[in-house]
Formats: sequence, C-alpha cells, structure tokens
Amino acid sequence: MNRVLRPSVVMLLSLACYGVLLGPFCAYMKQKPVEEKLGYVPSATLLRYLATDQKEFVAASLVMKTVMYYGGIAEKQQTNVVVAPPDLPAMSRLLHGAVKLDPYNMDAYYFAQSFLTWDAKQYKLANNLMDYGMKYRTWDWYLPFFAGFNSAYFLKDYSAAARYYQKAGELSGSDLSRLLAGRYLQESGQTGLAIAYLTVMEKGETNEAMKRNYHIRLTAFREVHRIEVARDRFKEAKGIVPTTVEQLILGGFLVPPPVDPYGGTFYLEPDGKVATTSKFAFAGVKNEKRQHTGE
Amino acid sequence: MLNIMAISLKGIFRDRIFQGIMGLAVLFLFIPSAASLSMRQVTELSITLSLSLISFIMLLLAVFLGATSIWKDIERRYTYSILSLPLSRTAYLLGRFLGIALFMLLTALFLGGVAMLAIKVASVLYPPARPVLWIAVLASILYGTLKYILLVAVSMLLATVSTSFFLPVFGTICTYLAGSITQQVYDYLHTPAAVKAISPIMKQAALFFYYLLPNLSAFDLKVNAIYALPLNASGLLMTALYFIVYTSVLLAAGAILLGRREMK
Repeated sequence: MNRVLRPSVVMLLSLACYGVLLGPFCAYMKQKPVEEKLGYVPSATLLRYLATDQKEFVAASLVMKTVMYYGGIAEKQQTNVVVAPPDLPAMSRLLHGAVKLDPYNMDAYYFAQSFLTWDAKQYKLANNLMDYGMKYRTWDWYLPFFAGFNSAYFLKDYSAAARYYQKAGELSGSDLSRLLAGRYLQESGQTGLAIAYLTVMEKGETNEAMKRNYHIRLTAFREVHRIEVARDRFKEAKGIVPTTVEQLILGGFLVPPPVDPYGGTFYLEPDGKVATTSKFAFAGVKNEKRQHTGE
Repeated sequence: MLNIMAISLKGIFRDRIFQGIMGLAVLFLFIPSAASLSMRQVTELSITLSLSLISFIMLLLAVFLGATSIWKDIERRYTYSILSLPLSRTAYLLGRFLGIALFMLLTALFLGGVAMLAIKVASVLYPPARPVLWIAVLASILYGTLKYILLVAVSMLLATVSTSFFLPVFGTICTYLAGSITQQVYDYLHTPAAVKAISPIMKQAALFFYYLLPNLSAFDLKVNAIYALPLNASGLLMTALYFIVYTSVLLAAGAILLGRREMK
C-alpha cells in the first residue's frame, strides 16, 4: 500500500506546489526585460558556426521570435493598452542575424521593411538590407519594390527609386511598379504612392497582427488623401490656401470630418502639407499626451 | 555478413526504436499549422521545419545506434559467441554497419514520406511564390541520410577502440559539429582578413583538420530544397563519391582496429 500511497501523496503535493508557483512564475516571465525576452544573439559569424546544418531553422526561429514579440506589443497598442514601445534596435539586430544565417529568408526582409521604415525610420539601413537580399532572391520582385518605395517616399532619391521600380516591374511582369515610379518621379501624389504600396502589402499579408497594422495605416493615409483633395478644391474655389482642417470641414469641402485611426488630430502645416499629431503611430499620441500633462 | 546485417536490423526493431520514431513523426502533423505563422513563406517554413526535424532524428539515431552497437556487444560479451562462429571480425563490423545503415535508410524513407505529405498540405493551403522543387526535397533527404550514415561509420570506428560508451558518443557529436563547420573555416582562411590575422602554423593546423575531418556541409542541400534552387548535378555526384570513399576509409580503419583488438 505504502508503495503507491507515498508517491501519490508526493505527486499531489508537487502538483499543488506547481499550481501555486505557476502564477508568480508566469508573471515573472511576462515582465522580463525586453533584452531577455528577445534574447541576446551572438554575432552572426559565431551563429553560423554554432548552427551547423540547422542555419535555416535557426534563422526562421529568430524571425519568428521577433514577429511574436512585435505582434504582442502591436496587439496591445491597437486595443489601447499602455505598453513600452518595442525595442527596435534589438529587433533589427535579430533580423540582420537571421539573414546572415539564411540570406533567402523572405520573412526577415519583409518584416524588417515594415518596422525599419515606418517605426524606426532607418530608411538607408532598410535599403541596404533589401540590396543584400536582392543578391540572393534574384527572382523576387518584392525586394526592389520595397527599396523603390523607400527611395521615393522616405529618401526622396527619385533616380534610385526609378531604378528599383524598373527592376521590380521586370521581375513581376506587371506595370504597377513602373506606374508607381512614374507617378513619384513627378514629385506628386506621395500619399497616392503610399496608398498603392500599403494596399499591396495588406493584400499579401497573412499574419493577422501585421494585417491590422497595415489596415490602420492604410485607413490613415486614405484620410490624408481626402484632406488633400479637399484642400486643393478649397484653393481652387477660394483662391487661397486653407490654414486649418476645420476650414475645410466648415466650408463643406470635407464631409465627413477625417478621423485618425491612431487617435491623433489632422492639421495643415504652413506649406499646406497634411500632418497628424499621432505621426501615424500609437506611440505618437501617447508622447503627445505625456507632453500635455508635463510628464 | 548478411546474417549479421539482418540480426542488427531485427535488433533495432526489437528495441522499439522505430515505434519511437513513429511517435516523433506525429510532430509532422503540426508542421503546416506551425508554418502558417510565417508572413511570406509558409511552404518554405514547412520545408525548413520538416527537414530540420528529420535531420535531428537522424542525428540521434546515428550517434546512439552507431556508438552503442559494437560497444554493447563487447560489454555484454556477445562478441565471444558471435566471433566463435566462422565469421571474420571485418564481416561482423560491416554487417553491423550495413544493418544500421539500412535502418537509417528505411527511417529516412518513412520520415521523408510523412514530411512530403506535410509540405504538400502546406503548399496547397498556402501556395508558394515559386513551386516546390520536389527533386531538391528528395535530394536533401537522401544526402542528409548519407551524411548520418557516414557519421555511423565514424561512431563505429571510435567504438572499435573504446572501452566505454563516452568516446563513441561524444566523439561522434564532436565530429558532427566540427565536420559541419570545416568548410566555413576553410573559406574564412582564404579571406584577406584571415591572411593577416591567422599565423601560418595555425593555418596549416586548420587545413590539416579540414582534410582529415569529414566535410559534412557538402551533404546539406536544405537551402536548395527550401527555396527551390537548382541542384548541381556534378556536385551531387562528387559528394556521393566522397561519401563512398570516406566511409570506406573509416570502415577499413575500423576493421583493422577491431582485428587488432584483444578481446579476452
């Protein structure tokens, strides 16, 4: 009897202890510092030696880890939960390590393009990464498409943009890239280009958190486009440049009033350019609120 | 020799190793759903996960089956009764090796079939940008198997001189780790940075190990399978020849050492 009873008692006690420990343990894991959650990644050179014949698997794990981490934060931000902003340099390090291990990994390029540009504002770094990827993924039109967009929209380097879009057009066999290049080379329709780019990105996205991210950004840019159209109509009708968005609403040029999905407020800059207090990011609104409350 | 091979194969099945592998193969069922977490390369990720899982299982088999078969026979004194039969020590070693190699081929066939099913499901659910190059997937599984059969030969060579379980197991793991990176070290040694940083003696020592240790990176065709990159036919032929020659050298050395070993 003892042979069964004693181990059973020990097991029940252990299970009870496990139940008690589980709560604090999970809480500890949840609040672990970002560096610990994303983990320290040794230099890519060392990783290549350590990964032996599992380089592609290790690279995919690094990318997945970064996506999960960012997805968790993005989901909280979208539901208005206050969280620390993502550690973008650490994410960049991880993805750069991943492409050193597996230079063909598309997820790494795609995700890096997403956050290095809109969030981290590291446009040149993003394009360097795209250039690196193009050496390997010679069939992929997405990489020159991304690089073309970055060159045109962020870096204002129109000749480079035309070059990239030309390449993307050749690879994809579609005229979309050439069309975008042409539009941007005229230095007009920046918002239109962003909408076209984001529409392509949203359409091909399978990750739910990322798709929502693109959708929100696309909605914001569509609102900007509406304001721009209203601004131009106002100027045409009245012969003067409007100074506020309210002028457009009151004049009946902008119905319904624009809504920034990031929670900010649209306004017109002195040169007539449409901007928002959110800076197209949830973090932008929080920073603004902090400035207002004097934190 | 064929009898020993058959006995070895039966022994492995009797030890229920294949049932264990079938249990692990359940993991393949989860691969398409795990790969769906990828943003742009679901099928590619499912190939990566499938090939990595096969590789991991085959590594465990190579290390433990290769390292334990001869050592176990000597430890349990089965060799006395086996070698009292009209059978040379070389035939005994080759029989054991071929039994394990055949088991590994059967395992690769089974796991490869399940993996290809998982990849097919993923590719139907999430069509890849480039169609799956099935020949490259097959080649990757086949060459991966050859690599681990070569490792079995390494572990059996170590087992012929070892008096304990540790040398064959840890020696094989070290050979696997070193053999996987020798090509990278060799490539590094030929860069301008290494010419300045590495002393000539160190370089010579590294080159010695490069030629001595098996070059396992040649057998790694995962990147071709995952991203549908074309295979190099002459490279594949060269690697197959390398496998035959290197394995023959290892087995011949093992036969010599086992022949000279005192078993009293």
